[in-house]
Amino acid sequence: MTQQVRLRINGELHELSVEPRWSLLYVIRDQLGLTGTKRGCEHGDCGSCTVLLDGVSVNSCLVLAVEANGREVTTIEGLAQNGKPHPLQKEFVELGAIGCGYCTPGMLMSAKVLLDEIPHPTEKQVREGISGNLCRCTGYAKIVKAVLAAAQNGG
Amino acid sequence: MAELTWVGKNVPKIDAMEKAFGQAKYAADMRFPGLLYGKLLRSPYPHAVVKSIDTSKAEKLPGVVAVVTKKDAPNFRFTKAAHQVLLYPPLAAVLDQYMFDDHVRFVGDPVAAVAAVDEQTALDALKLIEVEYEELPAVFDVEEAMKSGAPQLHEGVEKNIAALLSGPFTHGDPEAGFKEADIIYEDTYDTSRNKQCQMENIASIAMFDSSGKLLMYSPTQMPHLVQRQLSLIFDLPMTKVRVVTPMIGGAFGVRLGMITEPYSALLAKVTGKPVMVELSRKEDFSGTETRHPIRIHLKIGAKKDGTITAEEATMITDAGAYATHAVAVTSVGALMLYRIYKCANVKVEGYVVYTNNPVAGAYRGYGGPQAAFALEQHLDALAEKLGMDAIEFRKRNHYNTGDIDMGTLIPITSCALAECLDKGAEAANWREKRKKTPGSDPGPKKRGLGCGTLMWASGTACWIGILDFSTAMVKVNEDGTVNILTGANDVGAGGKTALCQIAAEELGVNFNDVSISATDTDTTPFDIGAHASRTVYANGNAIRIAAKEAKRQILELAAEMLEAPAEELVARNGSVYVKGAPHKGLKMGEICYQAHIRGKQFLASANSPQTNAPPYGAQFAEVEVDTRTGRVEILKLVAAHDVGTAVNPQLVEGQIEGALQQGLGYSLTEDVIVDKETGVVVNPSFSDYQFWTAADMPPMDILLVEPDDPTGPFGAKGVGEHGLAATAAAIANAMYNATGVRFKELPMTSERVLQALKEAGRAWD
Repeated sequence: MTQQVRLRINGELHELSVEPRWSLLYVIRDQLGLTGTKRGCEHGDCGSCTVLLDGVSVNSCLVLAVEANGREVTTIEGLAQNGKPHPLQKEFVELGAIGCGYCTPGMLMSAKVLLDEIPHPTEKQVREGISGNLCRCTGYAKIVKAVLAAAQNGG
Repeated sequence: MAELTWVGKNVPKIDAMEKAFGQAKYAADMRFPGLLYGKLLRSPYPHAVVKSIDTSKAEKLPGVVAVVTKKDAPNFRFTKAAHQVLLYPPLAAVLDQYMFDDHVRFVGDPVAAVAAVDEQTALDALKLIEVEYEELPAVFDVEEAMKSGAPQLHEGVEKNIAALLSGPFTHGDPEAGFKEADIIYEDTYDTSRNKQCQMENIASIAMFDSSGKLLMYSPTQMPHLVQRQLSLIFDLPMTKVRVVTPMIGGAFGVRLGMITEPYSALLAKVTGKPVMVELSRKEDFSGTETRHPIRIHLKIGAKKDGTITAEEATMITDAGAYATHAVAVTSVGALMLYRIYKCANVKVEGYVVYTNNPVAGAYRGYGGPQAAFALEQHLDALAEKLGMDAIEFRKRNHYNTGDIDMGTLIPITSCALAECLDKGAEAANWREKRKKTPGSDPGPKKRGLGCGTLMWASGTACWIGILDFSTAMVKVNEDGTVNILTGANDVGAGGKTALCQIAAEELGVNFNDVSISATDTDTTPFDIGAHASRTVYANGNAIRIAAKEAKRQILELAAEMLEAPAEELVARNGSVYVKGAPHKGLKMGEICYQAHIRGKQFLASANSPQTNAPPYGAQFAEVEVDTRTGRVEILKLVAAHDVGTAVNPQLVEGQIEGALQQGLGYSLTEDVIVDKETGVVVNPSFSDYQFWTAADMPPMDILLVEPDDPTGPFGAKGVGEHGLAATAAAIANAMYNATGVRFKELPMTSERVLQALKEAGRAWD
């Protein structure tokens, strides 16, 4: 009992048959091999699986693949353009915002949505904007600094 | 110290860009042809005997390849806490675990495992396994467990006392010491069961080749010890067990040994296919090791002048169902009760007690935070009773450079605790803010400032009762670039980046010309593992010594090529030149290629020396306690840490900032709550566990104090763990300063705070 879906992922069109119970996360990781998106809790608690669905950040573990039919998905693999790091990626690397790196892809995607909506956020807005993404390594201090720096530098 | 090129620089982490691009491969990101998915069936009862298991229905489910139970597993008794086997007297490992046992001792004890073509099928199959249990009475409280007639968890272990530690932690004459004291203060503190919460789900992948060799992809903190343990369990020579570490998504102690590895290996052996066993987050919360709750009864005597004359403590450690790290954790906690502050007469007894709670084990701090929560509050109370400033009291009593470290019994090579206290106090405005009488703020919201101190270690070399060493090899290629081969793992802290900085500095090559291996036990030499804040110090020392030897070999040839004595040559930034003539040098690549065409490779290896240098820290918390609700708001944290030379200051700050987040959770919210009737963990998710988000965090002021330690590589000491050791103590002391009430149970939730305020008659009506 599968269903055909069309997903545009990082600009590339994928047509595939999915089971109704499959999450978007499962399809991205296990059917399409885009393992940059991480599975941390499968409960929408940790934000490690954050992707953009038509430009809005979602926990891909809470979205069924069939719900994403006909829609545009951006994953961490689609953040850099032509191999050039996005300003957020550059600042995360340079300012020490990456610990073990497991939360990083989801954190970057949430930060991207934040800067798309609020190009020059306050520190408080950054903290709220990424509060759906848990990190156990950094205490968030350098992540917040990196997002603010990216905003300064045209993120 | 001479001017340094790479040490002390904020170079980005060597793996940061691949992590930022989503290219880093963690265990569950790896794919192999024919990969099967393994899942564990776990006991739903806290204490029971498995009467029978029927796997036939599960085996018939399409897509299921194998179901294994006790009868399929090696009948080998071990401990998943792999490094406990390196304990030696007065400590000893407790070997009390099997892969599957027909006596289950906590909710989550594995009884069977399934391998199937996909994860969902494996999960479906678990539901088809029929297990008949005979329930046994269970015990969840340590004091109940120690009574005669309590349910007994392990055969031959009377009153569930897995170990009683006393001898090694006793010296002097406590009775006489208490007689000398002008005041004696006594109290009991309870610490909580909390969770590492590494963001990556626990996973491993195993496969056997046609020669019967096991390949294990394991993000363990201790790959070489896991290799050894797997070789023992599966009765294979170590050459037939190869452990390789992928990227590791955080550890904090949970990976200090084996978790899924024996199960993925068994399923791979039975099926002949590669098998991945990945745990869900719920399983992680209830089925993997937690921090040990420890009840600490503490009694300290002091003279009017502030001299501490005697200390007595009883620690009761809730090991949960299996002992794992409990002996070592309790011993570290015991030592931390008298390691920072001088006391001639000490007696500590530690009871390691089995209960039907989830298994406790290693978590960042390893006994230290528990001891600090008790000791640092106790010191504050004593200082107040003596009419002394809490910082002055600490400065008067702490051990210093040249004194014997009570944890290692070797001299302390550097101690800047006094400077940490002074700098932290200044940043926290201690002198001004501590003038108030505790609890004297008008209105329901009361502010306070408190401090706590910590001392830690750089690995466990010389530490009482445990072995520790690292080995590293430095291989110089014919183009002048350098490979470091070492079993050191990077759990996310950036240790490997710092190791490359150390190698580049010593060799005089560019940082970007140094590459460090992933651990692969087929090729990397022994390293005990990434624990005890040891990687940069111990492995760094091994690398530095090996690099020195490699450099000697390079300079020997360069001397011939430059027609100058080797001792007059300088290696820097990838060139070798005669001192004072940097423009007339040779490129490292030219020298190495010359060696190459003469049939020689520059190659060196070294073991880490048996030294240990304690880092220190002083932490300050400013809080506001709402005496109507018990809610505690953290206004500011200051952490002044003596880390020796910060090899990469940005990474060091990051370590401390991350530790503070964990320390805040430990203080106020985080607790693995076990239902006292059923033994079930009732909050096995990040949100119910109350993990702190970016929006919850207070401002943090990190101050690095950098004495040049004579034993560390370029003066560095360990930084990995200790950032959370004193946080709960500093917050509790600040809460006392705010309210005049002591809070002695972790976490200090609003409910507990309000209750304590009410009992003291200090809640706001």
